[in-house]
Amino acid sequence: MREKFEKVLDYLQGQGVDYADVRYVDRNTESITTEDLKLQELQNMRSEGVGIRVYLDGSMGFAGSRDLNKLKETADQALAIARASKSVQKKRVRLAQKEVIVDHYQTPFKIDPFQVSTKEKLDLLMAAEGEMKGAAQLHQTKGFMDFQKEKKVFADTEGSYIVQDLIEAGGGIEARALGNNDLQVRSFPISFRGNRVTSGYEIIEELDLVENAAKTARETSELARAEECPSGKYDLVLDSTQLVLQIHESIGHPIELDRVFGAEAAYAGTSFVNIDMIDHFQYGSKLVNVVADATVPGGLGTFGYDDEGVPATRTEIITGGVFKNFLTSRDTASQLNQKSNGTSRADGWHNIPIVRMTNINLLPGNLEFEELLADIDYGLYFLTNKSWSIDDRRVNFQFGCEIAYEIKNGKLTGKIYKNPVYTGITPQFWNSCDGICNEDYWRLYGVPNCGKGQPGQSAHVGHGAAPARFRKVKVGVKDVK
Amino acid sequence: MLSKEQAYEVIDRVLAKVKGYQALILINAEETGLTRFANSEIHQNVFKDDLELEIQIKREKKTARISTNQLDEDSLKVAVNQVIANLEIIPAGEIELPLVDYPTEIAVEEVDPGLEQNFAVEKRAELIKQGLSQLGPDYQAAGSLALNKKVLALGNTNGIKRYARGDTVSFNTVVMHQSGVSGYAESLSDQGDDLDLLAQFELADRKARTGLEPVNLEPGAYTVILEPLAVGDLLSYLAYTGFSGRSVQKGMSFLAGKIGEKVFGENITITDNHLDQNTISIPFDFEGAARKKVRIIERGRAKELVYDLASSIRDQVITTGHSVGNRDLGGFPINLVMDSGDKSRNDLIAGTERGILVTRFHYMNIIDPRQALFTGLTRDGTYLIEQGTIKTGIKNLRFTESMLQAFNRVTGISKERQKVPHFYGYSYVPALKIDDFHFTGRTEENKEGF
Repeated sequence: MREKFEKVLDYLQGQGVDYADVRYVDRNTESITTEDLKLQELQNMRSEGVGIRVYLDGSMGFAGSRDLNKLKETADQALAIARASKSVQKKRVRLAQKEVIVDHYQTPFKIDPFQVSTKEKLDLLMAAEGEMKGAAQLHQTKGFMDFQKEKKVFADTEGSYIVQDLIEAGGGIEARALGNNDLQVRSFPISFRGNRVTSGYEIIEELDLVENAAKTARETSELARAEECPSGKYDLVLDSTQLVLQIHESIGHPIELDRVFGAEAAYAGTSFVNIDMIDHFQYGSKLVNVVADATVPGGLGTFGYDDEGVPATRTEIITGGVFKNFLTSRDTASQLNQKSNGTSRADGWHNIPIVRMTNINLLPGNLEFEELLADIDYGLYFLTNKSWSIDDRRVNFQFGCEIAYEIKNGKLTGKIYKNPVYTGITPQFWNSCDGICNEDYWRLYGVPNCGKGQPGQSAHVGHGAAPARFRKVKVGVKDVK
Repeated sequence: MLSKEQAYEVIDRVLAKVKGYQALILINAEETGLTRFANSEIHQNVFKDDLELEIQIKREKKTARISTNQLDEDSLKVAVNQVIANLEIIPAGEIELPLVDYPTEIAVEEVDPGLEQNFAVEKRAELIKQGLSQLGPDYQAAGSLALNKKVLALGNTNGIKRYARGDTVSFNTVVMHQSGVSGYAESLSDQGDDLDLLAQFELADRKARTGLEPVNLEPGAYTVILEPLAVGDLLSYLAYTGFSGRSVQKGMSFLAGKIGEKVFGENITITDNHLDQNTISIPFDFEGAARKKVRIIERGRAKELVYDLASSIRDQVITTGHSVGNRDLGGFPINLVMDSGDKSRNDLIAGTERGILVTRFHYMNIIDPRQALFTGLTRDGTYLIEQGTIKTGIKNLRFTESMLQAFNRVTGISKERQKVPHFYGYSYVPALKIDDFHFTGRTEENKEGF
């Protein structure tokens, strides 16, 4: 393969390109869904192909083909597209400098999930579903497992040649109960097909799906009979199962530098964050420390190199509440006279790399969970994301969660509420954070469906957080007349 | 793109490899050329050529499926071996899914050659350049122009064959004033001479100019006029949460237990109709079943639901031919048509004492599916109407509203309708005037913009 790639890169250099890269991806997935103790779906998928990106006179062209025998034709197509781009371009694209790298990266793992029998996987999901059915009266139970194995080969005209073998695994369970004209859901360990990480099958064993099934089921059943969550302004504790999406939407997306420069203006939107905010904008309270860390073990956004051949990094995003850095690619970093911090990734072989989150993590604080609650006279503890929405500049957000626990006089009362929703304004919300639990409570979750770009691309990213406290947050919408 | 003959050759080649099994072979091929622009220059320009070949084999209540995008003999052999191995080990499902056996063939091969002539990569750049040249010095534009070619083909061991080619061109643009105020336009067609790009740029530009110096409005209940892009977004989420038999079976649908009952105002009729020439038709579904017209909401009454095979068997009805290859969704309507009214969009505005005109929504999501309670934000063109005229632009607002209530408060429907994108297809919808639509937040709280 290396010889083939070098040949086409030589050809492109002969055509006068400023720069070109070739990316090969062979992605294999296995997806299992069980429902009410039956197999609903077992699906294996494979997608293999090559994408060629060229910069010709500072203009970009990209072509992707599933046919590896058509490298030259694909290269010619990318050149023709770059020539067309040139006719509507104000200034040349400049790529930030990077190291020339020849390397191989492999996701650390113990058990290859594709070597574990399907029967073993199904037996585990059925056992977890059986526990749920036995523990409470439910409308429906579900079980999920997802595995992915991806080989990536990257070569460019600067001399880099990088091979990566990436493995992902994940799973979860879900219970549904009907109330009075109402449907309630509880998920474990997190919603939308469970947690997913870069790891082998060992993560499935660590999830303890069977052991957590009965509690999930009982809570769902109780939720179907619970009162509606009250509306008003309350002190709020967000569990890491909700902070995942809060970080994703209100920190992860706004700090994508291509978005800041307007690349997504017509589709995913822009950002309230701008380049003048670096080093002085108070994004959150002093307790808020956020990093983009593509090196953290197990993160769904963990890898060796991004899809421009830039090594994975750990970058400070917010330090002591102050905004420090964007997520960058080579073409966006150059506009700040910086080097890329390695976040340019493509969904498969058939898409161009664009700025994507890696693992955007809220670093732990120093509180025990009991201490986090202790300072709340009356408040609510929200768990597990159910819905999300944020405006096109990432300012006004609204999230729904699966469940809320009542906090009174610094303690959980045991009372639960259904349909909790909260809303806020991004910087005000993060500045209202006055407590974060310590590293014992810190959890890392995967988000495998982060959408961006046209044609649409789905990225696999991660978020780590410990439960955190926010003051006077607007809860519910039913009091707006 | 794969011709009918090429697609059928691949299907027959794979069917021969799974001899002895009941099988269905499905090809979903796509070729996309997309030119994207931002800050009034092309910044991304891409082409991709891909397909997905899915092999399904069945025995009694078991179905196994696998997909690959590689059609060489070695890759096919690996895929076939794996799907056969999977069929042996998986437990039986809840129901036995039969293979479609009628009619023998459905084929749609025609596409407008004008699409390729008018929207090849060089033409796309030329058209975008022309459109951008119309903008004033204080305005910039972002957007995309895409030529998309699609083939859906399938065959099964009952001897049926299906082939549909569906090519489209789609365009969207947001025109932005340097103050940040923006206007939006979007259009799509399956005809090469139907999409007037310059008119779309002009519309987005006019919307941006109309919205300059926007004011902040307090959240609350307002009369709204939702333009077709906003209506289409609501309809997409209604379809996702509630228009399928499967969504009712799951207990998720706001129509659960309400079939035959009046759920919306009598002025609301929503049909899934692939025969309507304003939608882009694929006359069969991912299981090979012929697509049927489904009267989902008729004069406000919940009438019929869409089905795939599995969900139809559960409800003991005949499939409506709405499989999109996603078992969890069951069926999904991809050709939604909402009946028009008798007033023009301008008449709706002229008849509004005080209200809000919405161009489109952003980032909609479902808060409570059983109540069809959705939230989302206005974007790229939101205006205050007073005494029948557009008075000023408004800063973006968040709505949180139950569609079960809102669609009972529709007081006006435009006679003009527009093709708008939908999760899996295209809808054809009018503008709606709705009373007491609930806005529950706004995007700007202070002078700094947040």
